[in-house]
Amino acid sequence: MTRILIVDDSELVRNGLRAVLRANPTWEICGEAADGLTAIEMFKELKPDVVIVDFQMPGINGIETARRMTAIAPDVPLVMFTQHASPDLERHAREVGIRSVVSKTDVFPMVGIIEALLSPQIAPNGKHPPQQ
Amino acid sequence: MTERHKVNILMVDDQPGKLLTYETILEELGENLIQAHTGREALDFLLKTDIAVVLMDVSMPEIDGFELADMMRQHPRFQKTAIIFISAVYLSDLDRLKGYQRGAVDYISVPIIPELLRAKVSLFADLHRKTRQLESLNQELHALSARLIAAQDEERRRIARDLHDSVGQYVAALSMNNGLAIREADKISPEAANALRQNSGLVEQLSKEIRTISHLLHPPLLDEIGLMPAIKMFADGFSDRSKVQVEVDLSPELGRLPPNVEISIFRIVQECLTNVYRHSGSEKAKITIHPSDRNLLTVEVCDEGKGIPLENRLSMSLGKSQGVGLSGMRERVRELGGTFEVRSSNKGTTVIASLPLNGAGKGG
Repeated sequence: MTRILIVDDSELVRNGLRAVLRANPTWEICGEAADGLTAIEMFKELKPDVVIVDFQMPGINGIETARRMTAIAPDVPLVMFTQHASPDLERHAREVGIRSVVSKTDVFPMVGIIEALLSPQIAPNGKHPPQQ
Repeated sequence: MTERHKVNILMVDDQPGKLLTYETILEELGENLIQAHTGREALDFLLKTDIAVVLMDVSMPEIDGFELADMMRQHPRFQKTAIIFISAVYLSDLDRLKGYQRGAVDYISVPIIPELLRAKVSLFADLHRKTRQLESLNQELHALSARLIAAQDEERRRIARDLHDSVGQYVAALSMNNGLAIREADKISPEAANALRQNSGLVEQLSKEIRTISHLLHPPLLDEIGLMPAIKMFADGFSDRSKVQVEVDLSPELGRLPPNVEISIFRIVQECLTNVYRHSGSEKAKITIHPSDRNLLTVEVCDEGKGIPLENRLSMSLGKSQGVGLSGMRERVRELGGTFEVRSSNKGTTVIASLPLNGAGKGG
């Protein structure tokens, strides 16, 4: 089973994500956090395979949360799920190790993106490995 | 401010008898009368007290009246102090000219006509009182205006936050639910499926509009990541909405600034671009933000439009009303201890705000 940690201050959004992620029966939600600091503690404790993180939250924001998670375990794929998706936010997100930014107005790509990030053909940096 | 504050009148003469005469004449004005017997003593009083009117004899030992006036004029604090010369000896036109060249408001010859002296001193005392009142009211106005700007920023930030935290989350959840339902649209009638798809489109539109309103009220990137990404994102969104092409040239080495400086710069850029769209007719705008060599940050927004109409430029140069936008920007810059300049011709307008980078501004 692939274990996913959801980090979002809105319970509505967390529930919505749970429903969307049911599309893949091999995934389970191992934990939910409503703020960045709690999420980092859960990240250390639960060792999830994937983290979905909101951008704007009380306390530290999603970028800072991701920065600290990447420092702990750089290979765990992080996906940002936000209302504020923009090229500039995406650039900042990539700098702290976030692999992809998904807009809250269009959740459809989320399942495909996570599947691609977990696919063995794709290296942890999100790029295909060179042909041997 | 309706209460009448007494002002200080300094009388300078080396002859005690004359000082007594002046005092008797001016007593009924009800102001504070101060006597100085030498130029040096007068300077001491001037440095220690706010003096409205100096009444002085031209001919005195050591420092004479003209020399004292010269010294006073070199000091910016005394620029507005009214000097009235009195002389029984130096009465030629050349003497009077020397007096007026030193900034005297009057030159009186002895014998003095008491009523005339009293009326003149009273006039300048009142003028001083009114100037001080005006300065004090002006300071209150600036303080009020700064509080108004800060309150407006805070209110916008709060509404944007509320929009994101409540409405935004509901809309995000709606959008996700719609997405799930659409996947199973083949299980319902074609009409129902069509309505569902329409709903999904409407929710997406709603979400975009809430996002735009929230970003215009207070951009989330400003607090979370900083001024530069917030300005880039605003400029991109502005270009999309207005079809005005915006070039953004931001200093890469500029890190985070104090929150009041960041919000002020953002609002100035926002206001300038709004003006470009509403008034200039320009198809292009450029935002430049760079530190200059004098520990100043220069924020420049220019366009290639038709410029500010001549009559508005004239009233601006006379310090008259410039519309809420420009005066609001000027006020923000003043509060941060910077300078604000608008250059406009029929080839375009450039707004330049220079802000101290060392936190010399008043805001916290």
